[in-house]
Amino acid sequence: MNIERPKNTTAGATTVPTSVDLRGLTRVGAKPVFLDYLVALWDYRHFIYFNARASVQTSNSRDRLGNVWLILNPVLNGITFYLIFGVLLHVSRGMENFLGFLLIGVFLFQMSSRSISAGARAIRTNLKVIQAFNFPRAALLFAVNLRELLASVPVVISLLLLILLFPPTEPVSLLWLLVLPALLLQTLFNLGVGLILARVVARVSDVGNILSFAIRFWMYGSCVIFPITLFGAFPLLKGLIEINPLYQLLTIVRTAVLDNQFPQWQSWAVLTAWALGVLAVGLVYFWQGEESYGRDE
Amino acid sequence: MTSEVEFVEGQPAVVLDGVSMTYQVPTTAQDSASPRKPRGLRRLLGRQRNVSVIALKDISLVVNRGESVGIIGRNGSGKSTLMKLINGRVPPTAGAVYASSRPTLLGVSAALVPDLSGHENIVLGCLAMGMTRAEIDRKYEDIVSVSGLAESIGLPMRTYSSGMAARLQFAIATAVDTEILLIDEALNTGDDQFKDRTKAKMDELREKAGCVFLVSHSLDTIREMCSRVLWLDDGEIIMDGDPVEVIKWYRTFTKYLSAGDRVLALKTRRRMINNLKVPAVLARESGRRSSA
Repeated sequence: MNIERPKNTTAGATTVPTSVDLRGLTRVGAKPVFLDYLVALWDYRHFIYFNARASVQTSNSRDRLGNVWLILNPVLNGITFYLIFGVLLHVSRGMENFLGFLLIGVFLFQMSSRSISAGARAIRTNLKVIQAFNFPRAALLFAVNLRELLASVPVVISLLLLILLFPPTEPVSLLWLLVLPALLLQTLFNLGVGLILARVVARVSDVGNILSFAIRFWMYGSCVIFPITLFGAFPLLKGLIEINPLYQLLTIVRTAVLDNQFPQWQSWAVLTAWALGVLAVGLVYFWQGEESYGRDE
Repeated sequence: MTSEVEFVEGQPAVVLDGVSMTYQVPTTAQDSASPRKPRGLRRLLGRQRNVSVIALKDISLVVNRGESVGIIGRNGSGKSTLMKLINGRVPPTAGAVYASSRPTLLGVSAALVPDLSGHENIVLGCLAMGMTRAEIDRKYEDIVSVSGLAESIGLPMRTYSSGMAARLQFAIATAVDTEILLIDEALNTGDDQFKDRTKAKMDELREKAGCVFLVSHSLDTIREMCSRVLWLDDGEIIMDGDPVEVIKWYRTFTKYLSAGDRVLALKTRRRMINNLKVPAVLARESGRRSSA
């Protein structure tokens, strides 16, 4: 459009110096200081809980079997891995309860991989809610992880039932309760990773495409399917796996449930350090980007 | 130009201080200067050339509590961009927007969480606005009645028509005592019955000393609901004032344009700009009027 007009278009308008009381007004979109942000997150705990519960209920609402999929999904997954690695490839290497080993690995790894990929996409999938309402955006990541934690209840119960069902059966002991703190630490770790990835993916969505490959790679580095003894000949690789928080989580749960022993303190230490460290980094990193979420490109 | 300083009493609701917005957008149009095809990496990535589009030019504005501001203008004049800037969804490329609380923007795309029922969306939306469960229980009936969706409140939101979804979002967003409400065309999707209800709700909001911005192509809606009208054209404010007056001159402008008389249209535009007073915002420190 070629509209002819004077060079400086507002030249005609009169500028009036106007004294305005700006105290008490805030710049729109400015993020709060970090501590206020944490307090705001606590204030939004009902939102987090409701959001998580509602999405557990509706996640399978379009499927005929509905919430049965919460259990069926990991069970089918476990069976697939068992058929391939246990029956066809004989990876068990004389392990006493390979099925139990495999089920724990697959079930727990799937929980992490689901929460982390859902967390990474949290900003994009909730764009409408973000643009419509003003709340601390990290609440969405808390909701995603709380949802996975709620969804993990039937999963863990079915996992323990499967272990009781398939021979060789393991005796039930009080040590099984150690699964609970282990899962809690796992959730904190997932939350931290989700917070970091959510900001990265919101900025560069390409990372979301790489994520599924990275997660698959991570799975093989967590001894989900192979026992760590397989890496005996590669001390560097073995060392890397031993500082992997997910490997330590699996070791804790396997030791408690399958071997009926108290897991080593080193495993707890590595897992706890990762969980708290990544969560702290994730919170700060996510908060720094608070102003940018939900903006139109 | 006068040296007299205009003085705004009390605390305004929204202040725009020299806000400009330039978008970088990909284009498929061939550059007439270099009509070559994209080469190298850019071609490999399938990305397009970016051009700068100026959406808003140096807008300054002071809006007080209790005002309802209508924004009119042709397509692409910057109305929606202005709303997004005030909402904070888009950061301005220059200048700053100040507000007494975070403004809520109601847009046309109103689906919240499609798989949840209307009821659950109400609870979720209210929680997202920071209401407590007790408050929600108290206001729930009110929200449903404003939305007029009593029969379909239990159905998943993906089954709603766009008008129904817009009504629900309006009802949710106005449930909390929003100080500053931005409405972008959302009311146009409602039927007549809903328009009456929104009118009543907006009057109520205005009385609560809130502040409403309304973008609409329906000049009648604007005249009915607003106490002040901005006419935007090509990213700048042309007129700012009484609804009847501004709408009259805007109509004159568009009439000339559709008659193909550019010269007269631009003359009208220039005349209005010459009468315009633009505030140059000076932040004052004390609440009282200073001796200067």
